[in-house]
Amino acid sequence: MLDLYDKIEEAKAFIAGKWKGTPKVGIILGTGLGPFVERIEIEAEIDYESIPHFPSSTATSHRGRLICGKIDGVPVVAMEGRIHLYEGHAAKMITLPVRVMRAMGAQWLIASNAVGGMNPNYQAGDIMVIEDHINLMTDNPLIGVNDDRLGPRFPDMSEPYNLKMVDAALTIARKSDFVAHKGVLVSVTGPNLETRAEYRFLRLIGADVVGMSVIPEVITAVHCGMQVVGFSVVTDMCLPDALKPAVVDEIIATANAAEPKLRALVAGIVGQIGNQ
Amino acid sequence: MREDLSTLNKAAQKAVRHVKDKWNRSPQFGIILGSGLGGIADAVEDPTTVPYEHTPNFPQSTAIGHHGQFVCGYLEGVEVIVMQGRFHLYEGYSTKDVTLPVHVMCGLGIHTLIVSNAAGGLNPNFAAGDVMVLNGHLNRMQRRPHEGLAAGPTSAWIQSTLRPYDLQLNQLARHIARKNDFEAPLGIYAGHLGPNYETRAEYRYLRRIGADAVGMSTIPEVLIAESHGVRTLALSAITNVCSPDALSETTAEEVIETAAIAGQKMEKILRGILLTHS
Repeated sequence: MLDLYDKIEEAKAFIAGKWKGTPKVGIILGTGLGPFVERIEIEAEIDYESIPHFPSSTATSHRGRLICGKIDGVPVVAMEGRIHLYEGHAAKMITLPVRVMRAMGAQWLIASNAVGGMNPNYQAGDIMVIEDHINLMTDNPLIGVNDDRLGPRFPDMSEPYNLKMVDAALTIARKSDFVAHKGVLVSVTGPNLETRAEYRFLRLIGADVVGMSVIPEVITAVHCGMQVVGFSVVTDMCLPDALKPAVVDEIIATANAAEPKLRALVAGIVGQIGNQ
Repeated sequence: MREDLSTLNKAAQKAVRHVKDKWNRSPQFGIILGSGLGGIADAVEDPTTVPYEHTPNFPQSTAIGHHGQFVCGYLEGVEVIVMQGRFHLYEGYSTKDVTLPVHVMCGLGIHTLIVSNAAGGLNPNFAAGDVMVLNGHLNRMQRRPHEGLAAGPTSAWIQSTLRPYDLQLNQLARHIARKNDFEAPLGIYAGHLGPNYETRAEYRYLRRIGADAVGMSTIPEVLIAESHGVRTLALSAITNVCSPDALSETTAEEVIETAAIAGQKMEKILRGILLTHS
């Protein structure tokens, strides 16, 4: 990890050349959630490819731009499109943008992803506020010699997601009159979807939804001292005894349909962070 | 002393010769010391130290509270080779790096390996400061144990994990514990890649699949010892009890402090076992 520090500084310096703001919140937008960008008063947009050391996104419906600007007056930096472990990058590289957002000044990370719902009380299109996670991914962003300038060797994980903000998000959902759950995300490396037996296993070990992202970014954010809020958009239901083949177009359509709910939650949380 | 090194890979053979040049004896026991348990290394009599960094093909250790050297000499009159400091996968080392010292100790002719580690307790009957005797493990380390190491008795690979922890040694260890007026419960060790500690949801998951304690080491080393036909005893210092429904923060400093308390118990078990061989 000793190579990261200079890379973070170089990326930060490059971005500072395009945008003079200091973000309070970093935001990661997952599959199908790109339209959220409309909610941001954009002051600068930068392609990942042009930023030194940023990995580039190849995933479906992920654009690969860093958006700098404001939400209701609160300075934010948002990743439109994330990079996944299954694209072949090392975990420490896909999480570099989180460290750059931290270095730019962001104290909060809001991460979102599209997930399969395994809790039978959930429905496609619902939002789950992430209360905790189970990491089954095969790489960890903190592997290597620890750089104490970035964070501790053995980060505590007793509260990776800020529990006050979990409650705040659920309150926003109630006031806006839509369903939001509180639950546990399990992330796997992917990229294949799970078998019926795997869904049973993941449900058995305590997970409500399954995805292929968020956890590396959250571990990195905790490592570098950020507070985290996470949202999972349930894009299809994965009930092993009534499993239907996943259709990527349908998943993206469901994500797009759920996007206004996510928009209300993210904007509401950003507002509360701004008032702190 | 085992003179035939042909079952070792070349990297290990070179390292074995290096250790023999410094200390030309036949160790009976190999001992791997985990977090905060390094005191036993200072008790070795007539010690010869062989720093890892001077040993051919060895990487260097970086974890908190770890030194990196072999300490060769006598404990309770028995020839031992002690690993003061070990390599972890979370430090970025390959399985090959992590297990090379075990190949070297096996190449030097040890018949028994005693491994210690610090682990978080998941079994609610455990208390901080307990010593757990490993009766099995769940390998969640996301790496293949023999990655990068082609040499070794291949038939043993296939047998591997059937019974990596020696039943008689386990009974002896628990007997010694009782004689010293403490219990050393048997348990299943879950090996996690790390380096972050586990979330509450992860503790619940590991408990549900049958783990009594969780740590970030030991499994690769034990599998290699088993492949050499070396019998193994592994002890976990329970540094904290991770109750997911009343979880408090875990700090590296706490872990090292409690490991020292459990370390005194481990030393009694270790010395008791060595005494039966002197």
